[in-house]
Amino acid sequence: MVRGVGVGFVLQPEERYLELLEPVFGELADYFEIAPETTWWGEADGSLTTNGFAERFAELGERWAPASAVSKPFVAHGVGLSLGGARPEDRPRQLRWQRRIAEDHRRFGFAWLSDHLAVTDIGGEAHALPLPLVPTPTVAAQVRRRLAELRAIVPAVAVENAAHTFTFGDPLEETTLIAGVLELPGSHLLLDLYNLAMMAENMGFAAADYLARLDLSRVIELHIAGGSWSPDGWLPSRRSYLLDSHSSAVPESVWSLLAQVLPRCTGLRGVTLERMEGTVGEGDVRGIEAELRRLRAVVEASA
Amino acid sequence: MSKRGASSSVGRVADSAQESVEDSAELAALVALEEGLAVALRATDPERALAELALRPELGGLRERVAAISGDGLRLSALLVARLRFERLVQGSDEASAWFDRDPAGFAAAFRRYHASVPASALFPADEAELFSRWCEGAGLDP
Repeated sequence: MVRGVGVGFVLQPEERYLELLEPVFGELADYFEIAPETTWWGEADGSLTTNGFAERFAELGERWAPASAVSKPFVAHGVGLSLGGARPEDRPRQLRWQRRIAEDHRRFGFAWLSDHLAVTDIGGEAHALPLPLVPTPTVAAQVRRRLAELRAIVPAVAVENAAHTFTFGDPLEETTLIAGVLELPGSHLLLDLYNLAMMAENMGFAAADYLARLDLSRVIELHIAGGSWSPDGWLPSRRSYLLDSHSSAVPESVWSLLAQVLPRCTGLRGVTLERMEGTVGEGDVRGIEAELRRLRAVVEASA
Repeated sequence: MSKRGASSSVGRVADSAQESVEDSAELAALVALEEGLAVALRATDPERALAELALRPELGGLRERVAAISGDGLRLSALLVARLRFERLVQGSDEASAWFDRDPAGFAAAFRRYHASVPASALFPADEAELFSRWCEGAGLDP
C-alpha cells in the first residue's frame, strides 16, 4: 500500500520506454501505475489472457521494491472499461474484464483502481478513445453500479475526469455527473489536472470554476502530464486544439493547478506523472527525472 | 474482502442492486445516441452525420444535447479514433505495417476505406489485423 501521498509513474507497454526510464522511475516513484488491459491478449473465444508485459511489470515491481515489501505498490488505471456505456449487450464483455481484473489484482495487489468517466465501447464499436457522457442522473447511476462491482474486486475505486474534445452542452456540467457518481460510498475521484487544463483551454472556461464545483476531499489521485496542439491543418476550420497526448513536459499551468489543489485534496494518496509510449527518447530522460524530483518536492511541501 | 474471494464476486453487486433512478426510456435513447455517435465518428463527414443524428426521434430529449455538440470537437475526436485504430492495426499486422512503410499514400487510402466501411469491433491489435485482412480479401487487395 502507498502510505501518505506517494509519487507515481506510469509503466507503458513499450520495451524502449521501460529500458530508458527504469533507473528514473525505479528510484524516484513510490508506486507504479498500469493500465490492466495493456497486459492482456484477446483470445479468439473472447477470453482474456496475459501478455508478456504482465510479467515485465511485475518484475519491475519486485526489482524496485522498498526494503519492507516484496514489490513496489501498483495502482490500476484503465481506459476501456466503458463505465458509462448504455448498451446492455456490452454486459458480457464487462464481466470478462472484471474477471481479468480480479486475476490481475491477485498478482499486483492494486492499491486502488480507476477508469475514465466516459464510454469507450460505443454502439458496439471499440473506439478506444474515452468519449463524453450525457450528464444525467440515469448515467450517474449506471456508473455507480459498475463502480460498485469493481469495488467488490479492488476496495478503492475511482473515476477520472477525461479529456474530451466535445461535450453534450456546458462542460462544467461534468462536475454534476461526478457528484452523482460519488454518491457511491467509498468511491473516489482521480482528478487529471492536464485534462482539466486542456478542456478549459479548448472549451473556454476557467479551471477554477470547475474545481469550485468539486468536493476535492474525494480525490484519491491526481494526474499531471504534458500535451501538444493539433496541427492547424487537421480541421477545415484550421482551428488547433490542445490534445491529451502525454507527449511532452508538464506545462507550468498544470504545476500551478497542482499547487492550488494539493492542500484541498485531504484524502489524496498519490500524484502520478503520466507519459505516453512512443514519446520518450534518450533526450527526454533527464527531463522526466527532473519532473519526478519536482513533483516530490511539491508534494512534500504541501504536507 | 480477501483477494482470493474477489473473482467469485464479479457481477454480483449489479445483479442485486438495480437502482430505481434509472429511467428505461432514457436508457433506450442513450443506446440510440451511442449507436449514432459510433457511426458519426467513422463517417467521412462527421458533422453531417451528427446533424442527421440530432433529428432522430428515438433520441427524445437528448436531441438538444446532440445539437449542442461542437462540430470541430466531434471532427477532432473522429480523427483521434481513426488514429488509434491505425496504430492498433500496424501494431497487430506485419503486413499492414510493411505496406505503410513502402507505400504510405496507398496504405492511407486503403485504411480510410476500411475505417469507413468496417465497424471498429476489435479492441486488441491482433483482432484488428484479422478484420483488416478479411476486408482486404473482400476488396481484392493484397497487402
